[in-house]
Amino acid sequence: MATEKVVSLSAEAKAVAARVGSLRDFLAYLGEHDQCVSWPDPVMPEPDIRNISVAAGNNVSTGPAVIFDKIRGYPGKRIAVNVHGSFGNLALLLGLPKITPVRELFFEIIRRWGSDKPLLERVAPEKAPVNENRVDKNINLYDLLPLYRINANDGGFYIGKACVVSRDPLEPDNFGKQNVGIYRIQVMGPDTFTLLSIPAHDMGRQMLMAEQHGKPLKVSVMIGNHPAMPMFAATPVGYDESEFAYASQMMGAPLRLTTAVNGTDILADTEMVIEGELQLNQREVEGPFGEFPGSYSGVRKVPLFRVTSVSHRNNPIFENIYIGKGWTEHDTLIGLNTSAPIYSQLKKDFPEVAAVNALYQHGLTGIISVRNRFAGFAKSVAMRALGTPHGTMYLKNLILVDENVDPFDLNQVMWALSTRTRANDIIVIPNMPMVPIDPAAEVPGKGHRLIIDATSFMAPDNLGADPHLVDRPMGPEIDALMQRLNELQKGGV
Amino acid sequence: MKTICPRCESTGVTQMHAGMENNQILWRVWHCKDCAYTWRDSEPAESIDPKVRPAWTKMKGVDFDSLRQVIPPAHKPT
Repeated sequence: MATEKVVSLSAEAKAVAARVGSLRDFLAYLGEHDQCVSWPDPVMPEPDIRNISVAAGNNVSTGPAVIFDKIRGYPGKRIAVNVHGSFGNLALLLGLPKITPVRELFFEIIRRWGSDKPLLERVAPEKAPVNENRVDKNINLYDLLPLYRINANDGGFYIGKACVVSRDPLEPDNFGKQNVGIYRIQVMGPDTFTLLSIPAHDMGRQMLMAEQHGKPLKVSVMIGNHPAMPMFAATPVGYDESEFAYASQMMGAPLRLTTAVNGTDILADTEMVIEGELQLNQREVEGPFGEFPGSYSGVRKVPLFRVTSVSHRNNPIFENIYIGKGWTEHDTLIGLNTSAPIYSQLKKDFPEVAAVNALYQHGLTGIISVRNRFAGFAKSVAMRALGTPHGTMYLKNLILVDENVDPFDLNQVMWALSTRTRANDIIVIPNMPMVPIDPAAEVPGKGHRLIIDATSFMAPDNLGADPHLVDRPMGPEIDALMQRLNELQKGGV
Repeated sequence: MKTICPRCESTGVTQMHAGMENNQILWRVWHCKDCAYTWRDSEPAESIDPKVRPAWTKMKGVDFDSLRQVIPPAHKPT
């Protein structure tokens, strides 16, 4: 449940929030910290952009955003990838040093979480940069965007990181029920595209409603956004909660909104907005698409949209994402924002929960650190996690570790697995809901869950109850010694 | 030689766009009206050559109406 608490931010975080109002601002800020590069050579759309995107994303700690402005056959066009592709880039967005440990990023997001007090500023459409150019005749997406194939066997050219705004077809005036989400979009023609959603997602609900009641469903596809927007567009907030509000509160600074021609709210400083309308009950052949589990989805029939107009800034940047076999920008973009709501929901009932790491493939594997209140307690926490909104579909493998094990440090998690796991004390829950594109499903959408309790034993459990743990030195003193050693390695004294 | 769809081998393909360099056409984008495959004729063979594409991607002879619906239409299209 959202509150109207106001988050206090450090001076550095306030400074970042004040100067970053758009993708362009963020790319400039990243560049000042050596976290954004312009690719110097001409590139072919395929396979060069794919390959360079993968290379940038391979460095999970400090891989840079990459701008392409010499794309062969697309003179004057620009693409940006890997903007959220490293934890260093996320740390800079939060006003932290780019080498901040992932655990600290998690707690900074938790600290800013749970408030949806909107910090929104209205901009008149005629003054919004996104309206510097408008195309409403002879629309040709192939000409407006430097489109390319993300993975070699994708069914076409995908827009993979756009934030799609839509109003509830039955309550178009309800701001909270206006949805902002990231859905895969396959361009199908000069002015048509498919948009893939499932009934469990907000957009899928709206498609079902529109077609059932014969009501129009109008969408605004925002491309190249304020960097907080895609982080929240991919976050499972409540159906009647506003992603715009969450994103603005997380940054601690207003987001500038304007109104699209079709009545939806859009970011005034976004690079491009494609306005479209669902073609009721019409479907097109879509896919495959290299998805986040690292395998291609099938070919299906998917709802079709027709473009009604396109607005864009001068010299717009097409921001896109590499997604496929992990690690990819997809994992960094949504990992912490997937972990945070699960943590918040567990913490309410079980204050013993210390941290949640659901970074892996949108939470298909999650690690929860928790202090056992009594023997077997961690398993109860795992069951509760499976009942959270995200856990219901996604949390497939759950590993429970003690509260003094950092779930973001996989060496520590492996220690817990090595020394705490009993193979006859794991739980498999058969025939549970599953993400349809998980290739490990028994049938698409249904499969088994695994809970591994790797927490310490306690009475009345006698097995291994007396382990005499080594008290490993840790904390600020050890951190300072590590820093000193680092300086000595660099030749300091 | 007539352009065919690399995926379903249909001849029902349309040029969507051409990329220019020094006033010359560098590549063309094509779209198949039957299986909706879209490709650029400058792509590596694994994406655009039916002889090289992986067998699992082929759609020759597929009944497109029988494909799974992610969100089934509520009514017949109007």
